[in-house]
Amino acid sequence: MKEDFLKNWDTQLKKGLLPLFVLQALRNKECYGYELIQELKSAAGIDISEGTIYPLLIRLMKEELLHYKWVEQPSGIPRKYYSISQEGKKCLTEMKKSLETTHSKIRKL
Amino acid sequence: MKLIEFNNSSSREVYNNYIARCKKATKVLSDADREECLLEINSHIYEYIQDHTATDELENLKTVLQQLGEPEVTLKEYVAAKKIDQAVTTFNPKHLIQALYFNIRNGIMYIFLSVLTLFFCCFFLLAVFKIIYPNNVGFFCSDDNFMFGYTTIPDPANELLGFWFAPLMLVISALLYLLCVFILKGIKKVKKV
Repeated sequence: MKEDFLKNWDTQLKKGLLPLFVLQALRNKECYGYELIQELKSAAGIDISEGTIYPLLIRLMKEELLHYKWVEQPSGIPRKYYSISQEGKKCLTEMKKSLETTHSKIRKL
Repeated sequence: MKLIEFNNSSSREVYNNYIARCKKATKVLSDADREECLLEINSHIYEYIQDHTATDELENLKTVLQQLGEPEVTLKEYVAAKKIDQAVTTFNPKHLIQALYFNIRNGIMYIFLSVLTLFFCCFFLLAVFKIIYPNNVGFFCSDDNFMFGYTTIPDPANELLGFWFAPLMLVISALLYLLCVFILKGIKKVKKV
């Protein structure tokens, strides 16, 4: 029962933090969709589905936090590379600050 | 869009079927939006297959398609958002009606806009009917009652607007349409859909 509760809480937490994870991953290097999913899985242990990541990428682009470009490949099947914008970097800094504030508040309790 | 080549004919069939469903799910979008969407799906499938060449091709394909989900469901949000973009940038009533159809479950404002759209369609139709049935359509007003629209028992002597009825209906229809588009623009700005 407790394990279920913790698992559910952890899932919700990661879901809420997902935009931060995506922005942070793209701050380090530009990625195409499939690569980003693998990056989040290997570096942050987040198993994110395709049905979640693509709508999120669309929303982040609408907010002008991300840019994208199509890059032709020798296979003839181009990749859509996402990268963080200046606005995205500013937003990421603010998100991290907010997270640190929350963390320090928890410690003070 | 360049299609992915498969060695196995079953894989080819499964893949072609999936792409056909994606095309069907996005057929209401502009050609550019549709192409962009299909390119990204195609790219994702290709990258997954390339990353799993050691295992069975058909099984890999089924796995990645399962992860991508049913096109009719997963592309719904994308199509709904893109339709709103199209409706507010093209000033085409067809796109407005489609945008509202795809977003009707996304909030009470879309229901309100659908009602407004119904009204602007009705006013437009009244203008058309006035031309087809000039005697039966109008704003009839007598001492004891009034009637606006179509009637089977017209009273031409008491019709108030006459020649101006059709142009007035067109103007009201256009104003309601513009109101719908501007409200939709406002929602888009607030929600950043």
